[in-house]
Amino acid sequence: MSSLAIENPSSRFQTALTVVVPLALAFLGAAVLLALAGHNPVEVYRLLIVESFGGTRRIAATLAAATPLMLTGLATAIAFRAGAFNVGVEGCLYVGGLAAAYVGFTFVGTPAPILLPAALLAGLVAGSAWMFIPGVLKAKLNVDEVVTTLMLNFIAISFTAYLVNGPLLAPGAANSATPVVDAAARLPRLMPPATLNAGFLIAVALLVIYWWWGKRTALGLETRLAGLNPRFALASGINVPSLIIKMMLLSGAIGGLAGAVHALGNVGRFVTGFSPGYGFTGIAVALLGRGTAFGMFLAAILFGALSASGATIQLFSDVPIEIVSVLQGMVMILAVARFGFLVSTKRRS
Amino acid sequence: MTGLGTHPGSDIRLGAQRVTKRYGSLVANDGIDFSARRGTIHAIVGGNGAGKSTLMRILQGMDRPNEGNVLVDGQPVTFTGPADAFASGIGMVHQEFMLVPGLSLLENLVLAKEPAGLLGRVDRNAALRAAQDLEKLAGVCVDWDTPEEEAPVHVRQIVEILRLLYRGADVLILDEPTAVLAPAQVRELITLLKKLRDEGRTILFISHKLDEVLALADDITVIRAGKAIASMPVAEADKAKLAELMIGEILARPSAREGKAGKPVLELSGISAGAGRGTSGLKALDLCVRAGEIVGIAGVAGNGQDELGAIITGLRQAGAGKVRIDGVDITTLSLAERRAAGLAYLSPDRAHEGLCLVAPIAENAIASHHRRPEFCAGGVLKSKVIADHVEALLDRYGVKRASSQLPAASLSGGNQQRVAVARELDGNPKALLACQPTRGVDIRGIAFIHQCLLDYRDSGGAVLLISEELDELITLSDRIIVLYGGTTTGEVTRGDARVEDIGRMMLGDATS
Amino acid sequence: MIENVLHSALIMTTPVLLAALGGLVNRVGGIVNIGLDSMMLAGALIALILASQTGSWGIALLGAAGVGAILGLIMSICVTRLSANEIVVGLGFNILVAGLVRFFLKEAYGNAGTLSLPDVARLPRIDIPVIADIPFVGAIFSGHDPLTWAAWLMVPVTIWFLRNTRMGLRLRAAGAAPHASRALGLSPLRLRDASTAFAGLMAGLAGAYLSIGVVGIFNEGITAGRGFIALAAFYFGRNRPWQTAACALLFGFFDALQIRLQGRGIPAELIQTIPYAMVIVVLTVMALAARRARAAKA
Repeated sequence: MSSLAIENPSSRFQTALTVVVPLALAFLGAAVLLALAGHNPVEVYRLLIVESFGGTRRIAATLAAATPLMLTGLATAIAFRAGAFNVGVEGCLYVGGLAAAYVGFTFVGTPAPILLPAALLAGLVAGSAWMFIPGVLKAKLNVDEVVTTLMLNFIAISFTAYLVNGPLLAPGAANSATPVVDAAARLPRLMPPATLNAGFLIAVALLVIYWWWGKRTALGLETRLAGLNPRFALASGINVPSLIIKMMLLSGAIGGLAGAVHALGNVGRFVTGFSPGYGFTGIAVALLGRGTAFGMFLAAILFGALSASGATIQLFSDVPIEIVSVLQGMVMILAVARFGFLVSTKRRS
Repeated sequence: MTGLGTHPGSDIRLGAQRVTKRYGSLVANDGIDFSARRGTIHAIVGGNGAGKSTLMRILQGMDRPNEGNVLVDGQPVTFTGPADAFASGIGMVHQEFMLVPGLSLLENLVLAKEPAGLLGRVDRNAALRAAQDLEKLAGVCVDWDTPEEEAPVHVRQIVEILRLLYRGADVLILDEPTAVLAPAQVRELITLLKKLRDEGRTILFISHKLDEVLALADDITVIRAGKAIASMPVAEADKAKLAELMIGEILARPSAREGKAGKPVLELSGISAGAGRGTSGLKALDLCVRAGEIVGIAGVAGNGQDELGAIITGLRQAGAGKVRIDGVDITTLSLAERRAAGLAYLSPDRAHEGLCLVAPIAENAIASHHRRPEFCAGGVLKSKVIADHVEALLDRYGVKRASSQLPAASLSGGNQQRVAVARELDGNPKALLACQPTRGVDIRGIAFIHQCLLDYRDSGGAVLLISEELDELITLSDRIIVLYGGTTTGEVTRGDARVEDIGRMMLGDATS
Repeated sequence: MIENVLHSALIMTTPVLLAALGGLVNRVGGIVNIGLDSMMLAGALIALILASQTGSWGIALLGAAGVGAILGLIMSICVTRLSANEIVVGLGFNILVAGLVRFFLKEAYGNAGTLSLPDVARLPRIDIPVIADIPFVGAIFSGHDPLTWAAWLMVPVTIWFLRNTRMGLRLRAAGAAPHASRALGLSPLRLRDASTAFAGLMAGLAGAYLSIGVVGIFNEGITAGRGFIALAAFYFGRNRPWQTAACALLFGFFDALQIRLQGRGIPAELIQTIPYAMVIVVLTVMALAARRARAAKA
């Protein structure tokens, strides 16, 4: 498996290329698809831009859609940074979302300054606990974390579905949803009536902290070294297994928080099919943003813009919103492809 | 130099003509001329890093020379890959075997040249017949249904050799074939190789075990520092002559400065470790390095040096015995705790363990010190202090760099090693384990690093120096301990160190 | 009652078994195929369309297999030639193909998610003359379609292929020791491409089974993650065809059971988690055993 750890760019130009090339190819591919389907790609892309960024309310919608992606991207990047290939953020998002919603609708009447943090904390803890097993298995027994975290996604989705169809089903509701959380547990909206809420501020704050943490703390340095070269890290006296467990727990915590923010900010409850693949899009965000705070911020806004505007352009121009998934999937694939062979035929086997 | 071409009626099956191979700034092969006569066993001897394996990789088509040619039957050829060499009848048994786990020995034998029938079905009977023919030809016995991973190492080696014969090779290149074998198996191998030669095949074999070379070879070529120093028929060779050619004239003399040894700092008692693939392990080793002293460890690779280093750093646990630093038992501590106890460790593998090449130079220079109170408070790095410290440190060690924020990979090999040395000696450790400290370093870099080690010693440091460079050991060491088969075969002190004695001890002769 | 559950267990096993055998061969060749689900989805759609337009289930199967193989080949080329990480590419394929399929449905049929076409040629049921009349056994084993029998036939065929053929031998070598097989003049990357295309082919057939074998319509959730169940099956079966088939059968049984148990107080969702949880348990047990073996050796 090729290393996905966050590398130091050899030059800014090269870094720019590794981001621009997959994006350009993906948009080109989607344009071909649109043209084949009889749409004018230029017109569609123009509409996408207008619908995402043309005006305060649209920008607010874009940022709201980007919020969970910033968090899932961050959760993924933290694990990648330590050299752990965590694809289980989607599962953390489910259990975190449910835990937060549970606190939010159970302790009704608790004042907001207590209830909201408690609900967020519940999501954080649940997500973190969800990553405990794969973290320990990787660090102590060298069990492939890709498989365990992938499997845990499906377990989380089915398990939460069981809970919301059974024990936690809202009274009177037909199916598959918890009661609505108390107003005190809702994340306050920043620009009512837009759905943009305080979760966005949390996500941005965490990205800033991540940037600072990676640059300025001993743990951040150790995590990076362990991800780039575990043998070197061991020889430098860094306890790599323990670091992997810590970072998997942290990754899970942020994934859980993403779920909590989605539940308390956007949905207001937990439902089955809670996430439209935020955890997986988070992988694309982390890869496209090259694991840097600013890069992931931009990547999350890009994907947020696509999903926010995709819904509206479907109404106006009957271009299916699925063009967004097509773009996401292509960006994800192309972001990890190496186009080195285009410039050099050396080192190919 | 005795030319082999002067032998009347000789027929050169495989040769090299002015072959030069460079890896970056390192010249691995420097204008090598070489020729192996048809139907002979030709031994290539030389120290580690002399360039033997590179030459063999070129002869077998794995690498291409920057200059010069491979000669097959006297004609220059260009191999684009091992398949080309195979087509010319040349095959190689690598040091790390190229058999496939999960396949049986028979499947390994026929892989890529399977006798096949309908629907691509492998004709097992035909394969088995071919295998049995080869067994008979080689005079060995193999249980062909054994899975590769369950076969003993000498059987796997025989299968590798038979596979070359199966694929029609009549030139066999063997890279250190005896390194992994027990003495009885070595004798078997020698018998087999002689039989193959007597049937007209040409065998090239790399070794640094001179006894075997003298017992087996018809001709011998000595390679040193990337050059073919001498070629001779075995009749003209003896052990002393070969050892001298291999090691070369030792220009280095012990430095005038003698260390003043103080109290014991790094102590090993009764250290044992199990043998591995191609390594001997350690057998109840005792060792003591005092303050203000450099103790060198000499020995042919695989005689326990790797285990010794791994046990001192804690990257491997000792089977038995104790390691102490300054009287404190560190046997069960982690490397972080050992570092805190005053141990520094200069890794032999700069590219993978000594440095993190993709990380910035500055991070490489501070790693392992970054949690010291002067650099870190409450988990937060004092960036300014660290940056100033690193810049001063790198300047002091003369690391030529455009910026300390560039990846360490941007430095030359010598400057990379300076970064590693600077980091390890920073903070004045009590003891330094220095493994191959000048491997792949340019001459100026070597002199500088040697000076660093001597200065450190003079300031009261204890150095355990593990090196394959004899002249380095002699230049630096106050005492040299020779390892053979995981135990000490001798010890010489500064001034008494004679290359011939050390060479003899390295080959297993205990001193008086 | 029980025989009905077992009969439908066999039905639910077929798609998982087909995809798992493909994934198994792929993994033997050295690639973990996370994209099986996407190839299944594409196969399901193409099979339905072709079955409706041509009225031939044979052409439908061929089309599904072809589409799966092409997707597999593209995925493989991303991994082997563009050195893209196989896991990310696999996940990306799942997102991309799901998007493409829904995009296509809306553009071509103007509907979201579900496609129901006229005159779909369904897979025929084979009633086995004598067995069909045996009370219990007949109800279980008779009345299955050719693809189900083909899937089970593929188990010994896969074993035979991997064990006895030239390609099988070389594929095993390419997966276990690419470096060594390259040194012998083989082309491990090409072998991997072939094995991924095969995995895609099998997954495409699995998808076709779901659309023209089981229900006769297509919807975007038709695979219900069975590509990942297949992944679980060959991980759980540790790459051995019969063990993998046994796991597929077990998972098929759970699948049939949870459909039966819906609305009976036993939560179907919990049964759905079992295959995935089993994989984690098995990997853990294997790692513990490996560690014990290492400890015993040292």
